[in-house]
Amino acid sequence: MITLPPSDQDLHAYVDGHLNEADREQLQLYLAAHPAIAAKVQAWQQDAQHLRAALSGALHVVPNPQLDPTAIRHNLRRQRRRHFATAALLLIAVSVGGVGGWQARTLNFASHMLPMADAVQAYRMFAVKDGMASDWTASTSNDPQRWLDQHFARADRIPDLADAGFKPVGGRMISTEQGAAAMLVYEDGSGRKASFYIRPPGPQHYLLARGARRDGELQADYWSSDEYNYALVTQADDEAAKRVRSALGRSI
Amino acid sequence: MHGIDNQLRDLLPRLRRFAQSLTRHPASADDLVQASLEKALGAWASKQPDGDLRAWLFAILYRQFLDTQRSASRYRRLLTLFGGGQDDHHVPSAERTVVAQTTLAAFERLPHEQRAILLWVTVEGLRYQEIADILGVPIGTVMSRLSRARQALRQLSEGEITTPSLRVLK
Repeated sequence: MITLPPSDQDLHAYVDGHLNEADREQLQLYLAAHPAIAAKVQAWQQDAQHLRAALSGALHVVPNPQLDPTAIRHNLRRQRRRHFATAALLLIAVSVGGVGGWQARTLNFASHMLPMADAVQAYRMFAVKDGMASDWTASTSNDPQRWLDQHFARADRIPDLADAGFKPVGGRMISTEQGAAAMLVYEDGSGRKASFYIRPPGPQHYLLARGARRDGELQADYWSSDEYNYALVTQADDEAAKRVRSALGRSI
Repeated sequence: MHGIDNQLRDLLPRLRRFAQSLTRHPASADDLVQASLEKALGAWASKQPDGDLRAWLFAILYRQFLDTQRSASRYRRLLTLFGGGQDDHHVPSAERTVVAQTTLAAFERLPHEQRAILLWVTVEGLRYQEIADILGVPIGTVMSRLSRARQALRQLSEGEITTPSLRVLK
């Protein structure tokens, strides 16, 4: 219930339609008897009307698809993934560099000797183990190329080994002396593994002519693009692996 | 799947209008709306508004605006320090000067806090208490700010105040 004379606050509440009916009628009577205050209130009402009219056009602007909630959610997911990938890369760089330091030392040492020895080493360290800690798995995303492209801006397309019955199942980042490397592990229906390995050529820009070499039970087929060195590591004597190598020939 | 998406879509024009009235610039208004929606949707899972969704979004957008204002003014200071940095973003354009007597032009010359309050009260019809919640101030403060905003709008509409930023037309 308002008291008369009305406070400034009551006058605003009147203009903005926040008074109950009884108060409104009481105030209207008061204003009828006080023209100066009535004029002030009326001017406020007019300003409010003008403002509403002037700003109503702003409600009818052309829709901006980037502001649609679906687009915003998509953006948010992409940002989160990017943060997660950066964090994962750091974590792996630290853990591989620290815990696997000794292995990494031999791995880097070997890489000076034999082309893509690190790829073979990585295969032995990670690919043959089931439940390898992965940065990418087929169960979380069906696009390994995209994962790879996040880390290697100008990577070749990953080899399509589907003809040989092999599909990408997991991938992880590995730190090497030449820079961050990635290994993508393929598997076929009976659990055979093959790995696709990519890393920068290092400060000496050591690119490889296409070739292959045997390392114990494994075979590494290697090649380079302008930007990166690649290797495909398979079981040397396995029939399925031979099919993989010929699928690779068609794929790259 | 996302229950609020349709509500958000319905509110988009209002959010864009509010952002436009704060920034006075369509492109930066949409940037502001985008950043605010990202905040809102990012927070949605953990923190949902108690009351009106619209008031909650206005609050997020206004805080986001104040944040960008603060960093923009830091940036301007930095530019001034290096000898450049003329910011004519907030100077009324020639057209605006021509129509300076109208309510809208007067509105656009108010400080952003008064623009926000007037838009919330008169255009969006928010309750005083909702505005007090958005700004985190007592309702009495909202009332006195509203009162000042209305007086300023009145004076500017009547052309009683000529700000130095008003340019001479050629």
